[in-house]
Amino acid sequence: MTSTRTPPAAGPTASDERDRQQRRVGFSQKLGRWDVKLSPYLYISPFFILFVVVGLFPLLYTGVVSVHQWDLLKGKGDFVGFENFSTVLQAPIFWKSVRNTISIFLLSSIPQVILALVIAALLDANLRAKTFWRMGVLVPYVVAPVAVSLIFGQMFADQSGIINQILRNLGFNGIGWHSEVLPSHIAIASMVNFRWTGYNTLIFLAAMQAIPRDLYEAALIDGANRIRQFFSITIPMLRPTIIFVIITSTIGGLQIFDEPRMFDQFGRGGADQQYLTVTNYIYQLGWTNKNFGRAAAVAWLLFLLILAISVVNYLITRRIASEGGAKQKKRKKVSA
Amino acid sequence: MRKTTRKFLAVTAGVASIALLASACSSDGDSGDKSTSSSSASAPSNDEKVTLKVATFNEFGYADLYEEYMKLHPNVTIVNDKADTSDNARAAVQNSIATNTVVDDIVAADSDWMPELLASSDFFADLGSDTVKDRWPAWKSQLSTTADGKLIGYGTDSGPEAVCYRKDLFEKAGLPTDRAEVAKLLNGTWDNYFTQGQKFMDAKTGAAWFDSIGALSQGMINQLEAPFEDPSTDEITVLGADSKAKPVYDLLTSDKVLGQSAHLGQWSQDWTDAFKGDKWATMLCPPWMTQIIAGNAPDQKNWDVADALPGGASNWGGSFLLVPEGGKNVEAAKQLADWLTDPKQAAAVFVKYGNFPSQTAATTDPSVTGKTDDYFGGAPTGQIFSNRFAPIEKQPYRGSHYFAINQALSDAYTRVDVDKTDDSASSWKKFEQAVKDLS
Repeated sequence: MTSTRTPPAAGPTASDERDRQQRRVGFSQKLGRWDVKLSPYLYISPFFILFVVVGLFPLLYTGVVSVHQWDLLKGKGDFVGFENFSTVLQAPIFWKSVRNTISIFLLSSIPQVILALVIAALLDANLRAKTFWRMGVLVPYVVAPVAVSLIFGQMFADQSGIINQILRNLGFNGIGWHSEVLPSHIAIASMVNFRWTGYNTLIFLAAMQAIPRDLYEAALIDGANRIRQFFSITIPMLRPTIIFVIITSTIGGLQIFDEPRMFDQFGRGGADQQYLTVTNYIYQLGWTNKNFGRAAAVAWLLFLLILAISVVNYLITRRIASEGGAKQKKRKKVSA
Repeated sequence: MRKTTRKFLAVTAGVASIALLASACSSDGDSGDKSTSSSSASAPSNDEKVTLKVATFNEFGYADLYEEYMKLHPNVTIVNDKADTSDNARAAVQNSIATNTVVDDIVAADSDWMPELLASSDFFADLGSDTVKDRWPAWKSQLSTTADGKLIGYGTDSGPEAVCYRKDLFEKAGLPTDRAEVAKLLNGTWDNYFTQGQKFMDAKTGAAWFDSIGALSQGMINQLEAPFEDPSTDEITVLGADSKAKPVYDLLTSDKVLGQSAHLGQWSQDWTDAFKGDKWATMLCPPWMTQIIAGNAPDQKNWDVADALPGGASNWGGSFLLVPEGGKNVEAAKQLADWLTDPKQAAAVFVKYGNFPSQTAATTDPSVTGKTDDYFGGAPTGQIFSNRFAPIEKQPYRGSHYFAINQALSDAYTRVDVDKTDDSASSWKKFEQAVKDLS
């Protein structure tokens, strides 16, 4: 805007002043640009800073602990490389705990998700006292896990429990809920399902209510019954939610700690490690045996296991949910 | 002008809030400070208001004693910090040591945890003094004394073992039911105990002789001097050729003995519920077990106590009171712990709550020896347990791995007796693997 005809003079002149003023305006423009670019990051940074301090740093430090000999009370020992990992991978108890964890995870997560879908579909329908049913489904989640474990522990007691008494009255032998492997997993999975099905139901219900109703109306006109609507409309539309629920169930299911711990009087997962889960094993290694280095090694192995299974889950879920759409396409081709 | 004052205010506000945050965060640093900040309360607190937190578990029977002490020392307020299970109390103490923070001024500890607490003896104050000299028998105070002679725990209760038996089942089997006669019958060796057990089983009353081999193992291990580790080197010896625990294991997992067991693991739901029935005729009974029997089967009138223990006098259980060195009121806490474990107070606790004292003078106190128990048919439990306490000379050596090895051994017995997943040999192999994993 300055006139180019005036030649630059020695010493501060009016044009220099005008230059300076322009630069000041330019600088606050730059500030404005920075504000737009940077402030989103600044706004979310508290969470990430907190995560780095409370989440990421302990995660990495556990890795440091796992390559040292580390006693709970005596503290850091010598650097031992991967010795903790190799000892753990060769310990039969570790593999038993992995077997137990995966078995309990499958027995709890699969029925849970299926049941949650079905119950959510039922709750989505036009019921009377809708809110009462929907809140009722969440009540098991609110009950303290220890209370649930005490009650279920009494029900599942090998000699004096109600379930075995009923079985004996019906003429069968009692089942060894605490002494055998699979029955103990079923008992623990039932406790987990009792607690978490309602929670997942409400998540599915919320997602179902976002499905546009005209899809159902169109299907109804085409002659689809409720079950057909459920499989052809509800489930494909819920795919992102199903993936979310399966991933969170996986992460939670592979870390089950409370229910196996409260299942017997010792909390060691059974005398023959019938229901010892990996998190329980970490606790035993770290606090009973006071071997923090080995406990940290198991913790990292659990982390890798959860990652691996989550990836597998994601690939399966993507295929299952999109198969529903592919099937419909195939049918259209046949009819044409 | 307005722009600069606004900016100036903004900058000042930012600096002020950072300063506030920093000062708030730094004030927490004192809680872990070990430099005797108790200097303010180092003199016996006569006028200063002091609050003492006492961490206990199960039932120590101190409620009335706290009231009495607070009346005697009006400036002291005692706060009870009771853990819901003894395992949680142990975890709390361990966490406190590991993080070097002091939560309670007095910490109660079970004798099973003492080895690991002795390993961190620097965390606790030296409680030795002239008033407590010879208060306890050597086998008790040894458990809370370091190798250099520093006393870190005052003994509270003890568990001299006797045998509790069911009069009605004995009668059905043709065995004597009078307390003195049963004592004569069962005193002696463990082989004698199992021989009587065979006689009982042959009479086919429908009940077993005892509740589980794991329970018997507790008693038998407590009668050995060095069952798991070498006292001089702390090395694990339980797997070696001269293991003292292996012969006990072989005896208890033999078919003869297994046939006399009710196969009910101690403290399990089935075991607790079975008290209502007629599942076993005898069990090893420290004083605290008598309360548990009474609690689990309040309507059962046929339990009695015999002044006997196969294999010789032995102790099972018992606790200590420790004072963390980094607390704010170490001297006041020491005084309270000293008073709580005084023979007079310990005798009062036994009379009301049934926790048998570990102080020598208390075990011969007339109020203790005169106590009878209505639940056990008026049995002179005070005299019986006093008789069981006097001959005790030793406790097993508890090294740094004692607790973990004991747990693994308990699992080994459960596998054979209760869960029936293994036979004697394969269960021992798994025990060997578990012990090897400890080192």
